[in-house]
Amino acid sequence: MALFGSSEKKPEVKTEFMFDTESTINQSTLAKDIKINGSLESTDYIDFSGHLTGTIKSSTINLKSGSYVKGTITADTITIEGEVDGDIQAKDIYIKSTAKIKGNIRYQNIDIQNGSIINADLFYSS
Amino acid sequence: MDENNTDMDENSTESVGDEIQSTPIDNDAKAVNIGSGVRVDGRIEGAETSDISGTLTGTLKSSNININSKGAFSGDMSGHEITISGSVDGEINSEDYLIVNNSANIKGVIEYTSLQVSYGARIQGTLRHRGSVQSYSSVSTDEVKEDEINENHEGDQ
Repeated sequence: MALFGSSEKKPEVKTEFMFDTESTINQSTLAKDIKINGSLESTDYIDFSGHLTGTIKSSTINLKSGSYVKGTITADTITIEGEVDGDIQAKDIYIKSTAKIKGNIRYQNIDIQNGSIINADLFYSS
Repeated sequence: MDENNTDMDENSTESVGDEIQSTPIDNDAKAVNIGSGVRVDGRIEGAETSDISGTLTGTLKSSNININSKGAFSGDMSGHEITISGSVDGEINSEDYLIVNNSANIKGVIEYTSLQVSYGARIQGTLRHRGSVQSYSSVSTDEVKEDEINENHEGDQ
C-alpha cells in the first residue's frame, strides 16, 4: 500500500516544482493584435506591442514599435519605440527614433534618439 | 571632447597674448565667441556660429549655436543647429538639429525639429516638435493675420 502511494504521488509533485522554478524570470510578451482596456501589471519585464488604454506598471517596460498606450506608464526602466499619450514615470527612460509621445514625462535619466516626436512636459527629479 | 578643445584653445590664445589675436579672424565668418568668465547682456542677431563658454543673457539668433559645458545662457535662442552642453534657462528654438549633451541643464521651452538627448542631461520644461504641433507656431501668425484682416476691414469701412 505504501509503495503504491509514493509511486503515484512523485511525478505529480515533480511537474509542479519544475513549473515554479523555471518561471523565476517573469518576462511577459504581448503581441501586436492585443488590445487592453484596463491595467497591466508585472514585477519584472513586459514586452508590449499591442494597444492599451489604461495603466501599465512594471519594473522594466519595453513598448515596441507599433504599440500604442493611452494612459499612465510607471516603471524603473522604460524603452519607448511606439506611441504614448499620457503620463510616463520612470527612473530611466529611453526614447527611440520611432517613438511618438504626448503628455507628461517624469524621469531621473532620459535618453532621446534623433527622429522621435515628443510634445510633452518634462519633469526632472533626482 | 570638442568643448574641451575649444575651451583650451580660448585659454591658450588668451595666455599667449595679442600677437595671435591680431591675426584677423575675418568678420565675414560672422562668428561669435564668448569665452568662459565673460558676461554678455543683450541681443545677438545674424551670427553664423556662436560659441558660448561664458554667460549670455538676452536674445541669440545664430545659425549654429554651441553652449559649451561652462557656458550659461538665459533668454531666447533660435538657430538651425544647436548643441547644448551647459545650462540654459529660457526658450530654445531649433529649426534643424538640437543636440543636448549629458552635461546639459535646461529649464524652459524647447521647440525642435530633430532632437537628440544624451543620458544624464537634465531637462525641465516643455518639448514641442515643430512639425507636429502646428498650432503652437501658427498661433502667432494667425494673430498677425487677424490683425491684418481687422485692419483691412477698417480700411474698407
